[in-house]
Amino acid sequence: MALDIIISGLISGSVYALLAIGFSLIFGVARIVNIAHTAFYMVAGYCIYFATHEMGFHPLWGMVAAVILVTLLGMVAYKFLINPIREHEGAVLIATIALAMALQEIMTLIFTGTYLSVPSLIKGYFLILDVKVFYQQLLTFFAALIALGVLWALLMKTRLGLAIRSTAQDREVANLMGINEARVAMITMGISVGLASFTGAIVVPLTILDPLMWMHPLIMMMAVVVLGGLGSLKGSFIGAYILGFAEAIVVFAIPAGAFLKGSVALSIMILVLIIRPEGLFGVTFEEER
Amino acid sequence: MLLEVRNLTVCYDRAMVINDLSMGVETGELVSLVGPNGAGKSTLLRAITGLVAREKEITSRSTSGDITIEGTVTFDGERIDKMPAYDIVKRGLIHCPERRRPFKEMTVIDNLMAGAYLLHKKDEIADNRDKVYQLFPVLQSRSGQISGTLSGGEQQMLAIGRALMSNPKLLCIDEPSTGLAPMLRAEVFERIAEVRNLGITVLLVEQEVSTVFKMASRNYVLSSGKIIAEGAGDQLLQDEVIRKTYLGL
Repeated sequence: MALDIIISGLISGSVYALLAIGFSLIFGVARIVNIAHTAFYMVAGYCIYFATHEMGFHPLWGMVAAVILVTLLGMVAYKFLINPIREHEGAVLIATIALAMALQEIMTLIFTGTYLSVPSLIKGYFLILDVKVFYQQLLTFFAALIALGVLWALLMKTRLGLAIRSTAQDREVANLMGINEARVAMITMGISVGLASFTGAIVVPLTILDPLMWMHPLIMMMAVVVLGGLGSLKGSFIGAYILGFAEAIVVFAIPAGAFLKGSVALSIMILVLIIRPEGLFGVTFEEER
Repeated sequence: MLLEVRNLTVCYDRAMVINDLSMGVETGELVSLVGPNGAGKSTLLRAITGLVAREKEITSRSTSGDITIEGTVTFDGERIDKMPAYDIVKRGLIHCPERRRPFKEMTVIDNLMAGAYLLHKKDEIADNRDKVYQLFPVLQSRSGQISGTLSGGEQQMLAIGRALMSNPKLLCIDEPSTGLAPMLRAEVFERIAEVRNLGITVLLVEQEVSTVFKMASRNYVLSSGKIIAEGAGDQLLQDEVIRKTYLGL
């Protein structure tokens, strides 16, 4: 059971980390709370299903197509839906909820609400101490780690990363460095949605596709961000693994724990908000003007 | 004229913060802008460097407030009042903002690199960094430190150093001495004098009139969004009305 918890915790922790970091990035740079973040993750899953089942592509090509298409979709949504109302936090919230539900309904129309599945990239499994570890699980885990590593390098080692970090710290002063805030926000939206779709692409062989599959990760992701501290990427990373493991422990160690899965995130979120509202690594933002 | 402001008016809602103001800075000068709190000194700098226009654009998309800007700003022979702030920086007009505002979660060296964002040649960036380190040795010894943990004086040096990274022609510095101990103030002013000796034109907003008047080639006294006097320091200090009413000396 301990091994089950570790495997499950590592995988869901990495998945939540990818989602939460993408969500934090666009929040940091443009102050956008993108509720549709995990809806993009869901759409990526359906893209792969469509590419493999309907068009007969290899799942790998399906993944590539899904990431590219969904990233473009995210940037278009940003340009025409979010950007015009960007300074209105409440409106952005409503617009992104609407976007998520619209995507959900569009997927229901096209693919109906039935459960669908996508084939693994690598079939088979091996045994550690009588616990089955699927190769796909390993693949998902390492792909997530690589994505996190690439993102870290992008943020810390490149000029674009410097612009993103500067804009996230102080939007006004970033302008004084010659950074085009609007362009950085657009690119960051692309990176953020790109991460969400990549996450969807690597997770979908492990899970079942249905139009409501964005809800649970959304709640987990929000909890991760609250736990880690809004705007802190480090906090999102650590918070994701804490919640991933907390969830795995509840599922495996408590009888019928799978039914309690959803409440883990919410309980932690409430606890954090009561005890330490700024989260583990909360960032205080420079006063906006 | 390197910088020329003509008939600039800035209103926040109905409050006129800058009132039909004209002023200018010649190449090589160190010009100071002094005046009581709320005179519009910072707003003037923010209007010149495009930040008021940016604010106007943001507020126009939300429900809060309304900003109007009129008049022209010319820099190096080019109209800049319709340009976005990040484009103005490319012309060599750099603004070192009020309250220093380093990128607090980033290291000192990352702050300097952000200052050099517009430069592409590695050698040039390294040269500028060395120049900044020469001017502010403390930044070199703290290059890996998170800038939010620096002292106020060090943060001010970082803010000026960051502004110097992009080869400014005109450096606008907003209240560099605020909140610093007297010793540190003196040091900051010394460094600003050195910046000017590097051949960089400086427009300095300050409250500390006594020091600034000694450094500056020309001074503007600002009150209620208008320039009410202009001239050399000792000349202004001789005028009783200006001294008592506007400078509080």
